[in-house]
Amino acid sequence: MEKERYFQAETEENAETKTDEATAAITQLGQTNIPQMEPDTNIHCLTIVGQIEGHVQLPPQNKTTKYEHVIPQIVAIEQNPKIEGLLVILNTVGGDVEAGLAIAEMLASLSKPTVSVVLGGGHSIGVPIAVSCNYSFITETATMTIHPIRLTGLVIGVPQTFEYLDKMQERVVRFVTKHSNISEEKFKELMFSKGNLTRDIGTNVIGPDAVQYGLIDEVGGVSQAMAKLRQLIEMKKGGEGKMIQ
Amino acid sequence: MILYTVMPEHLLFPVDAAEYEKKKMVYYDGIPFLVQIVENGEYEIVQNLSTNPYHFLNAKYAPGARFPISAATS
Repeated sequence: MEKERYFQAETEENAETKTDEATAAITQLGQTNIPQMEPDTNIHCLTIVGQIEGHVQLPPQNKTTKYEHVIPQIVAIEQNPKIEGLLVILNTVGGDVEAGLAIAEMLASLSKPTVSVVLGGGHSIGVPIAVSCNYSFITETATMTIHPIRLTGLVIGVPQTFEYLDKMQERVVRFVTKHSNISEEKFKELMFSKGNLTRDIGTNVIGPDAVQYGLIDEVGGVSQAMAKLRQLIEMKKGGEGKMIQ
Repeated sequence: MILYTVMPEHLLFPVDAAEYEKKKMVYYDGIPFLVQIVENGEYEIVQNLSTNPYHFLNAKYAPGARFPISAATS
């Protein structure tokens, strides 16, 4: 009743536009307006979802993260003085190695504090992205699949193809071991272990195990991640001009 | 039918090139969006690509909302 009267009073003033907006919101979204908030925020949030798309555009029904969208955003975050920190949320199945490493390198070289949270899955090339941030979290139920890189499509059957693949894999291994506490031996052991995945080589690491192996820093969700990010921002402000970390 | 192959599905069953044209990225109010064209000359928001979390609280920018093609930039 209260609401009805409120709407009626409003529609009298500005009958057409108000009812139009309200019905549009209901037909399109099934919801009415959410209160608007302050547009400025010092923490931005980047979501890495679905497949990480490489040089070949995936069919439109695939949910993808495109590097041509993500990279300019990271540049904008670096440029904007109002943005003080970045939260990276991952729920990805992996995808293109080059594109994934490009995003990971961009995040690793960002001068502002970054914290990542793996929700659901941070598989395959999602692993370097998760570890590229200053601090990483994984939720209790989230998983990360670590496996050797694969090549699809036409391949020339020459030793050089294998060498090329091996080099590419080495880039991933080096990046992960450089940006996390996992040792190269342990990471390779997980990558090449047999009997864990159905008819495949590799390991599916669950939340607390990823922390135990040193791949991820801590088990936690969004509140812990935000608290950590604020702490890193404060540390950066306090230690301006001094070396941090 | 079960196909035992290492080839990705999109290589085996390529979709029509016109499918790719349906979705595109545009800027609206300076915010990047993934949109699809709907009848009557409007774009329908498929995904909000902004990194600003407050842009997700405004119903105007939520998936399913529509805006005229003329309002989009680049």
